[in-house]
Amino acid sequence: MKTPLLTGAALLALTAGTTAAFAASKAEVLTNYANIAEAKYEDSLITAKALQAAVDALVAEPSAENLEAAKHAWLAARVPYQQTEVYRFGNAIVDDWEGKVNAWPLDEGLIDYVDASYGGATDENAAAALNVIANPEFSLSGKAIDASDITPELLGETLHEADGVEANVATGYHAIEFLLWGQDLNGTEHGAGDRAWTDYAAGDDCTNGNCDRRGAYLKAATDLLVSDLEWITAQWAEDGEARETVLSDENAGITTILTGMGSLSYGEQAGERMRLGLMLNDPEEEHDCFSDNTHNSHYYDGLGIQNVYLGEYVRVNGEVVSGPALADLVEAADAELNAELTGKLSTTMMKLGRIKTAAEAGFSYDQMLAQGSEAGEALVMGGVDALVDQTRSIERAVAVLDLSDVAIEGSDSLDNPTAVFQ
Amino acid sequence: MSVLSRLTSTACALVALTGLARADALTDAVVDQHILPTYERLATETAEFATLTESDCAPTSEAVRTAWGEAFDAWVAASHLRFGPSEADNRAFAIAFWPDSRSKTPKALRGLLLDSDPVVNTPEDFATASVAVRGFYALEYLFYDPAYADLASPDYACAVVKAVAQDLSQNSAAILTDWQEEYAEKLRHPDERYRSDEEAHQELFKALNTGLEILGDMRIGRPLGTFDNPRPNRAEVRRSGRSLRHLELQLDSLRQLALLLSDGDAELSQHLTQVFDKADRHAANLADDPSFAGVSDPQHRFLLETLQQDVRAIKDIAALDLGPRLGVEAGFNALDGD
Repeated sequence: MKTPLLTGAALLALTAGTTAAFAASKAEVLTNYANIAEAKYEDSLITAKALQAAVDALVAEPSAENLEAAKHAWLAARVPYQQTEVYRFGNAIVDDWEGKVNAWPLDEGLIDYVDASYGGATDENAAAALNVIANPEFSLSGKAIDASDITPELLGETLHEADGVEANVATGYHAIEFLLWGQDLNGTEHGAGDRAWTDYAAGDDCTNGNCDRRGAYLKAATDLLVSDLEWITAQWAEDGEARETVLSDENAGITTILTGMGSLSYGEQAGERMRLGLMLNDPEEEHDCFSDNTHNSHYYDGLGIQNVYLGEYVRVNGEVVSGPALADLVEAADAELNAELTGKLSTTMMKLGRIKTAAEAGFSYDQMLAQGSEAGEALVMGGVDALVDQTRSIERAVAVLDLSDVAIEGSDSLDNPTAVFQ
Repeated sequence: MSVLSRLTSTACALVALTGLARADALTDAVVDQHILPTYERLATETAEFATLTESDCAPTSEAVRTAWGEAFDAWVAASHLRFGPSEADNRAFAIAFWPDSRSKTPKALRGLLLDSDPVVNTPEDFATASVAVRGFYALEYLFYDPAYADLASPDYACAVVKAVAQDLSQNSAAILTDWQEEYAEKLRHPDERYRSDEEAHQELFKALNTGLEILGDMRIGRPLGTFDNPRPNRAEVRRSGRSLRHLELQLDSLRQLALLLSDGDAELSQHLTQVFDKADRHAANLADDPSFAGVSDPQHRFLLETLQQDVRAIKDIAALDLGPRLGVEAGFNALDGD
């Protein structure tokens, strides 16, 4: 089995040799890809620390102003983070970690009080209405849990994905979002969650009970978010595992970039996050359903795909990280295809921009999902169709870059094809 | 134009020309022998079901349930063809909204029945309803879960059955019509949607992979859960006892597609036949547990795990032998997300 692979590699080396004078090298493209990852995660960390400071202020001195300040910090923190999502698929190290910080959707009754319309435990999730904030002691999967101290360890190691149920999201952006905004009870009408600041007030001012435990939960979840982001940022720094992995094999690395772009575009964003909510007319299918920030989540996910392809990222302080890009490799292999894909990525941003501007002008994302909302359906489907369309061109890019030996390498069955029959 | 690039484009043209005859034959074979007959059957069965409900639409009627089951069989055989006409206007989702990992169907159906929602009164209105209350899976709750039997009057339940049956028939007919009138042509003679025979082949190859993923990861994988946490309640169509039947029907359909794609390669066809035969034998071993209630019992669980390994073995052959033979990549599909 070695010989054909060597032939393939030799042919690739020849191809690379003929194009080297005109195009960026794969190694340069991968280095820039890793640099952008590092900048995006570092920006996520910086903005999460600002959120942490705002949460500390809210818990220390609960007030309407401090709750608003924390909400604003959360919204700002989402801008760089959503742009990292394109790194998720393809980079196993990111995908394995991601559930801690951005898991969604969640059965929020696990965490805190909910409206009666929420219901209780379900077939899928026995802990759907556990309410950890109100209960210092409870049993989980038949085990007694002492939750008198709400710590990052309790959230991360005991509660998160408790009972093996993915909807038990105890940590990350969306748990924090719920604690800041509360449930959105407006259905497909305009309006986000409307948690009162007094849910964090001391003494008799406290509403809905257990304000100290609610504050402790919010602080623990935010501290955990910061430490999780510190970890992933380090993985992309010099000598970090994520960077090393991407740089260790050029073809596999380029495949990783394309896999992230294609999987996020199609299966995840166009399908799971956009089309599904529309087909179900269900505002619970909004990605940022408590804060009504879904239009931004979609927009910055799309932007992340585009800036990875073009190799250029604008940081939260305005600095630009840029360098040789996947676009350069595609340009060298097939200039028409590069123009096609670049154009489609721009179209997607225009379509996602329409959703964002309409939402910011008052036609919120949950309204777009309402049954019979033709304008809303057209806006959302405009984004979906553009994302699906760009995926076709991403598949074409995979084909013209001739990375096919990658998928075969690394398979257990390669050296022993008969193994699969055993 | 440089000499080098002119040489390259000539070479490409030659490759395209020589590839053409075989490519057309392969695409034609899959379209004529697999896709069109599969959708013809779906359109016929759903139309028969809809016609029956004009005179008999009680959820308890054996005739209704049988017609529903026959139409459902036809859908399972088509459930891997998730591209083109089945995706337009969300038709496939409206026909079959599954998996339902957030229990949307029971919630939405309950609401519909309790409100006696007039959305079922006209096909136009029903076409705007949530996909969670449309299609085969909503009817399974209505037919086989006693919790839904008395939520609405018999007349209203009857109206729901009629509305779903009509909607199924319309969507299935629309898929078939699109295939017959335009989509088959797009695959046979690549132009805009598909630029080359290779892209057409890739779409067909992706359909096989999608089917194997639905089979291995969802139809089998969801009830398996983990050893410590098996999930018998997540078995597809467990209420009607059809879970195993769906595996067998999908295996049959995917075998047909895989053999057509192997296109006369005797060795590859033989390998595929071996693994599909083996999977069929292992499926037959599950005959006394047709809804996979036994996944919590290590002895029974082992049988389903074995079948899952068979499906993965087929997927390996597709990736290692079939894809390279067709010269196509696995590409992206709708299951790529979480």
